[in-house]
Amino acid sequence: MDKRKQLFRHKHPYDLQGTEQLFVEAMAQNAQFQYANCADYRRICDMQGVNVNSIHTMEDVAKLPVLPTLYFKHHELFAMPRERMLITATSSGTSGKMSKIGFDVRSLLHGLSMVLRVGRFHKLLSLVPCHYIILGYQPGKHTDTAFSKTGYGFTYMAPALSRTYALVWKDGTYELNLEGLKKQLRRSGRSLFPTRTIGFPAYTHMLLSQLKEEGVSMTLPRGSKITMGGGWKQFYAQRVEKEVLYQLAWDVLGIAEKDCVEFFGAVEHPILYTTCEKHHFHIPVYSRVIIRDPDTLAPVPHGTLGLVNLLSPMTMSMPILSVMTDDLGVIREDCGCGIDSPYLEIIGRVGIQDITTCAAGAEQLLKEV
Amino acid sequence: MILAHGKVYEDSALPQLLETLEADCIRAIASQSITQEQVIAACDTLGKRIATGGYDRILRQFMADFQISEAHLSAALQLFSRESLEYKCRMELGDISEPLRHEGHRDIRRYRYPLGVLFHIAAGNADGLPAYSVIEGLLAGNINILKLPSADSGISVLLLSELCKIEPALADFVYVFDVPSTDLDSLQRFAAVADAVVVWGGDEAVAAARRLAPINTKVIPWGHKLSFAYATLDATDKELTALAHHICQTRQLLCSSSQGIYVDTDDRTVLEGFGRRFYEILRSVNAAYSPVPLGLRAKATLELYNEELEQHVTGNTVYRGDGVSVLVTEESTLTLSCLFRNCWVKPLPREQIVPTLKGQKGYLQTCGLLCGEHDRLPLSDLLARAGTVRITGAGEMSRAIAGEAHDGDYPLRLYSRIVEIG
Repeated sequence: MDKRKQLFRHKHPYDLQGTEQLFVEAMAQNAQFQYANCADYRRICDMQGVNVNSIHTMEDVAKLPVLPTLYFKHHELFAMPRERMLITATSSGTSGKMSKIGFDVRSLLHGLSMVLRVGRFHKLLSLVPCHYIILGYQPGKHTDTAFSKTGYGFTYMAPALSRTYALVWKDGTYELNLEGLKKQLRRSGRSLFPTRTIGFPAYTHMLLSQLKEEGVSMTLPRGSKITMGGGWKQFYAQRVEKEVLYQLAWDVLGIAEKDCVEFFGAVEHPILYTTCEKHHFHIPVYSRVIIRDPDTLAPVPHGTLGLVNLLSPMTMSMPILSVMTDDLGVIREDCGCGIDSPYLEIIGRVGIQDITTCAAGAEQLLKEV
Repeated sequence: MILAHGKVYEDSALPQLLETLEADCIRAIASQSITQEQVIAACDTLGKRIATGGYDRILRQFMADFQISEAHLSAALQLFSRESLEYKCRMELGDISEPLRHEGHRDIRRYRYPLGVLFHIAAGNADGLPAYSVIEGLLAGNINILKLPSADSGISVLLLSELCKIEPALADFVYVFDVPSTDLDSLQRFAAVADAVVVWGGDEAVAAARRLAPINTKVIPWGHKLSFAYATLDATDKELTALAHHICQTRQLLCSSSQGIYVDTDDRTVLEGFGRRFYEILRSVNAAYSPVPLGLRAKATLELYNEELEQHVTGNTVYRGDGVSVLVTEESTLTLSCLFRNCWVKPLPREQIVPTLKGQKGYLQTCGLLCGEHDRLPLSDLLARAGTVRITGAGEMSRAIAGEAHDGDYPLRLYSRIVEIG
């Protein structure tokens, strides 16, 4: 029985309690598959004394080997032959090192089922066609980073009338297409159909500020949305400006705060996290988060700050069932938006920037992970 | 804030001051000079005023903001004292401080002159350092243009403007500008006026200074360095404990901080035993220090955990816990550690010292030497030949003494030239 399939088809995307046993069983199945098919995973399980055949509770799941994203930058780990992978994506490493991650067809189908369920729950999924403004790269053979693919994929949430890209391929290089974006938005203002923008918060903010400066003030049709996503690190760097951004969205495009939606997912943890109306990322059934002690890596209780360990049985092609990001976060339970599941708040990244040092190479090292 | 001709200006005065900077410098070079005594007396007076609370209103706030301890302040003030500065001049300039008569040609004399104009690009890693760099320039008789580091606290302008008030003769020899590193136009103007660019900072800062300086302007780099400990198997627990204290205190952030320990062995088992031994000492010593901030501990934990996962490839061993770690590796290259009380232990049999370390030329600074008395001299000699510029006891790697060479050089000599007349 494919527990993963059951989990990804569960009717309520935030019913963590009701899916706990299912989640544990799907993780156990995934771990057994990785153990049998990925030599490196098997080696790490053996080294850490983990028996993949005795995973019965969430406590057991927490003991499965946690692979840091750093590890994927140095090693390519696959549990399937390459030709079975439909998409390979690279995560955009800030330090220039990239991880290569590949997804097989069935994993992606489960992912699609998740996207549909989460999209429907958050009313992102719509039959009303709309115009898309994509604040990212136009996909093509020149780009392989995850965002351009997820950005494109997202335009299937509602039928697309048009897709306008901020960065277009022209004369052998990507160019900022600000004029094209402005033209499309003016057209959208007169359209009967809603418009959705998709992009990093920083790009969205830049576009809105530019429009404001040029005196643009319109009311886009009902159902228009600003959706923002990308790497997580963009989020906390931009946090202070969030309120400003919501205000700009209202002033410039007439889009209300509740229609500004953020989502995230990391290449190593391709689960769609979407903000609730209070802008919190609740943990969906496909995923669990364990916050770990920064010294011992032991799980810590909710409300305690630590390293963020993300777990999901979605992907079979690689052992990314339990990964550790470079983020520091905390799990909270006090949202009050009506979704029962706790939410993850990313507080920052490991390391700090403004350290003073004169040891050779140390400045660079502290910036990188 | 800008300081020029002894007066403090708003940043908006930059274009106007830039306009006349070169002519002002040339005029001062042609018609004015300052003596060491003027500089020393002014510094001594300033230091005493600070020590007796003359600037407490500003200084106390500054010390609180930047968490500067009383001990740190008094150590810094000591460097500004007459005694220290006189000793420094004597030490560094020695026989060139007085005109020298050529032995063969009695009518020929050699004089020490300042280079002329120094452009200091300061780093933000020690408060007071930018001002100290200018004082070194003044001691050698130069005109000094100081570019403040981006995170400057305002203390440099305060110190230097007070200095000019105490000794007005210095006013035309000190300029401080708060221009950002991105204002290449202004920086190029300063570099073009200068005889030498004195740059403090990492490789990037030094490389940027080299690009900035015209071909006929010297670049004097005070770059970032790496330091380490070298231990023979005779190293005592007492020495290792002193080294552990040094690592915990400096958190391995200084150029004189030990990044790890080289051990005089090529036996893996011996090396492993040494690594375990030092780990236990480091752990117990660290218990007395306040912990490193959480985000930095988390970063080190991630990197070390990743090391553990990679053991099958690297063969490295990690001992970690309670906020410290020791990474034992068979590879001998001098590298930065994971910092913040996470050090490495590597094999380096003494006959390999020179071949291994020579590749790091220009980066080597201090070596803390832990060995028996009979080994101290021969090992010091090998380490010196390899390029190390300071060899100290285990706990003294980050000591600061007046008159010591800086990274193997005497700054006042570098800021001077010898002129032969006759």
